[in-house]
Amino acid sequence: MKVSVVFFLIILFPFSFFAQSKISGIVTDKKGVPIFGANVYLTGTYDGTTSDQNGNWTFETTETGVQTLTVSYVSFETFTMIDDVSKLKNLKVVLRDDVNSLETVTISAGSFSAGDNSKISVLKPMDIVTTASAVGDFVGALQTLPGTTTVAEDGRLFVRGGDAGETQIFIDGIRVFTPYSPTTNNIPTRGRYSPFLFDGITFSTGGYSAEYGQALSSVLLLNTIDEPVQEKTNIAIMSVGGGVGHTEKWDNSSLSLNTSYINLAPYIAVLPDRNTWEKPFETASGEAVLRQKIGDGLLKVYGAFDSSNFELTQEDINQAEGLYFKLNNKNFYTNASYSEKLNKGWSIFGGGSYTYANTKVNIDKAHIKDVENSAHLKLKLNKRFSNYFKLNFGVEQFLTDFDEKYNASDFSANIGFKNNVSAFFTEADIIFSRKLALKLGVRGEYSELFKEVTFSPRASFAFKTGKNSQLSLAYGDFFQQPDNEILKFTTDVEAQHTQHYILNYQYAANNRIFRAELYRKQYNKLVTYNETIPDVNSLFNNTGNGYAQGLDVFWRDNESIKNVDYWVSYSYLDTERKYKDYPIKATPNFANTHNLSVVAKYWIDDWKSQIGFSYQYGSGRTYTDLNSPGFLQKKTRDYNSVSLNWAYLLSQQKILYFSINNAFAFKNVNGYQYANTPDANGNFARRKLLPAADQFFFVGFFWTISEDGKNNQLDNL
Amino acid sequence: MQNVLTYLSIVLTAFFMQVEAQTTSTEVSEPTKYQQGMQKAFKIWQEDKSWEAANMFERIATAETDKWLPPYYVAQINVINSFTEKDAAKLKAQLDKAQNFINDATAISKGNPELLVLQAQLYTAWIVFDGQQYGMTYSPKAAALYNQALAIAPENPRMILAKAEWDIGSAKYFNQTIDTYCKDLQRAIELFATFKPEGEFYPTYGEERAKQIVAESCK
Repeated sequence: MKVSVVFFLIILFPFSFFAQSKISGIVTDKKGVPIFGANVYLTGTYDGTTSDQNGNWTFETTETGVQTLTVSYVSFETFTMIDDVSKLKNLKVVLRDDVNSLETVTISAGSFSAGDNSKISVLKPMDIVTTASAVGDFVGALQTLPGTTTVAEDGRLFVRGGDAGETQIFIDGIRVFTPYSPTTNNIPTRGRYSPFLFDGITFSTGGYSAEYGQALSSVLLLNTIDEPVQEKTNIAIMSVGGGVGHTEKWDNSSLSLNTSYINLAPYIAVLPDRNTWEKPFETASGEAVLRQKIGDGLLKVYGAFDSSNFELTQEDINQAEGLYFKLNNKNFYTNASYSEKLNKGWSIFGGGSYTYANTKVNIDKAHIKDVENSAHLKLKLNKRFSNYFKLNFGVEQFLTDFDEKYNASDFSANIGFKNNVSAFFTEADIIFSRKLALKLGVRGEYSELFKEVTFSPRASFAFKTGKNSQLSLAYGDFFQQPDNEILKFTTDVEAQHTQHYILNYQYAANNRIFRAELYRKQYNKLVTYNETIPDVNSLFNNTGNGYAQGLDVFWRDNESIKNVDYWVSYSYLDTERKYKDYPIKATPNFANTHNLSVVAKYWIDDWKSQIGFSYQYGSGRTYTDLNSPGFLQKKTRDYNSVSLNWAYLLSQQKILYFSINNAFAFKNVNGYQYANTPDANGNFARRKLLPAADQFFFVGFFWTISEDGKNNQLDNL
Repeated sequence: MQNVLTYLSIVLTAFFMQVEAQTTSTEVSEPTKYQQGMQKAFKIWQEDKSWEAANMFERIATAETDKWLPPYYVAQINVINSFTEKDAAKLKAQLDKAQNFINDATAISKGNPELLVLQAQLYTAWIVFDGQQYGMTYSPKAAALYNQALAIAPENPRMILAKAEWDIGSAKYFNQTIDTYCKDLQRAIELFATFKPEGEFYPTYGEERAKQIVAESCK
């Protein structure tokens, strides 16, 4: 009987059984502009077509019943609808912009990123190390960006009127407690970690994410390479030492080792400087990164050890025989992190770091031994609800145990402290459209030492003003514990506080980037004390305050002049603060009004060479002239330095490298040291604080041995 | 260094720009829906309507979730068309799309040398677009992929050709001898003569290109 029923139906409804259904419609974007070339089809079938110039489409199908119609076109979100085939007629489909597009607004206030696929990267990976003035130190390259101040004798990052301790450095999201090798007056330090092992750097000069705390002014985020490309061995022979690196790869893991030895003795023997070195600077360091894939997750373990020492006598106006200084430092840092993408848009990150720093210093007859044990633990979850809404939240714990033994002939003391800070943070990314995005976050911290709870709201907002331009606004509250130099004497203080207000404009097109950023930073609760050199008996308070405001401008152009890539940074800074032992509000000696950097790289094809040029200018910095009334009332002369470098490719894998810092030997003065007591005429004698040497020369030979015979260290120079 | 890569990339572009001539199957049995679909897509491609062909391959890919060739060709058309794309936003969108389809294809066919070479071509598209920005990162990755592909299929002339062409570009730049690579190309040409793709609709193109390079570079 069945047969006849079917037969009957066929006779009655021949159309639906044998004829094909016609599916039709039009596809446009949000503005109603037709989309040409969209793929329109019934999912899982072969039936479909491509939309025409007017956005129209028509196709036939033998499918029946409920089907899924898909409309997709590159750089738009794919559209799907589920309905009965008979109803898929004369449809009007509007495709939504895909917000994962380069054209989508990015929250850019405050931060510079260097990386490959970040939407707008101000620095490229190799810039970190091919910048003439940087001499292989990534901090040196960052000092050519706006918002930084030229403090040549220090070497650390000074951001927007903040001192060096206000910038924190993170490796793979985990804090580095002792990022710089310790040094003494007038001898610039370098970043401890080689640029070899990092492939992404974000430098934020303000308004950063709630994920990062314990930094008043700035954060520098370094990411180690997830997966090295190939096995290779790097050999470096330099005028100041040497290094060997090796990367080994296995199926699911890889290991990179990097060792280096630096000894300035031969250099100083040939080119003596203004110090009397008993033992020139010597450092041996080793770094290792292990990466292991575990299922869909990635485990990274990073370890770095370095040991450095030097011994010298420096000129001193109060001591005719000079000031003797000896330093021995051992530093171990390890960092482990695990990240995994889970189901349903979740991802997890967990990690921790441990730092051991042991510094022995002899200043004249005094022996000081500092031991710091610090750890940071962090757990973070990320949930992607859609392309338009993402949520990030986590908890972290900082632990520091610091001990100092001070021994001098007349006095000895043991001081130290334990400082534990617990924190949580949560942050939401909301993308309203390609034109409008918002980031809102809050961070809470509890200090065990101060029994103090702080909350820091953070917000940033970005709006696209044109195809290639955008405006961003950011606001944030930032807290930071006073540093070891204070906490070792007193724990009866509170966290210091800043507020940032940032307005940023950015234009990026055709290998040209222009950025301008206006900011105001308010300092509160800065630590003050009542003696020039504080000790356990000093009176400490949190009554200091101050401000910093200014304009940062950046221009990079890789298009206008053939084979030339250049950038110009200018910073205007107006800042005053009352802190430490300042009697009045004043501009600190690490801040100046105008800073300018010009960096250019010229590739000469016929010579297989890259020539680098870098010019740094800094207007005068303040100092206190004891022979006239006032405090930090005078300014030094302006700072000028031109650095040049030349990288020559001997062959694909051999590079010869030369550089000169301060090629024109400008006589720069970092400040003045005044005598403690006036002479017979009531005059305080002074001497100029000059750099140890006006110029620095460097020659290196870099050789890479790899399977494919092509890789070289140009990106590591 | 970036100029090396630009140079290389331009050479490579010439290679990719030639639409692959795909011979249709001559099997006697009734063609399946898949075979009909693929043949139609290649026909559209040969008519110079590459985007329409990509759409057709994409439709087949959604219907045939266990076949790696449809997503391979979707990715390849997106990559080829990216070599001439000057708009960064569009380029990124196309290459992201290509990457998704390479990922889909790789999930179906793991350790497939054709997919490794296509991935290397995708990196090359970034290098062509901005050698200075992407060359440093992507050129060693591309080189590693060519090595890997050749290690998997040492007798496949397409792999020999892809690697030799990449090597010749950089050797020329450094005025180094290309003799070994020319020998590789000769071997590829010999192997092409008897080359049988592993299966229906597998990529076959390369013999003419190999001869062309030998004629131009290896004298």
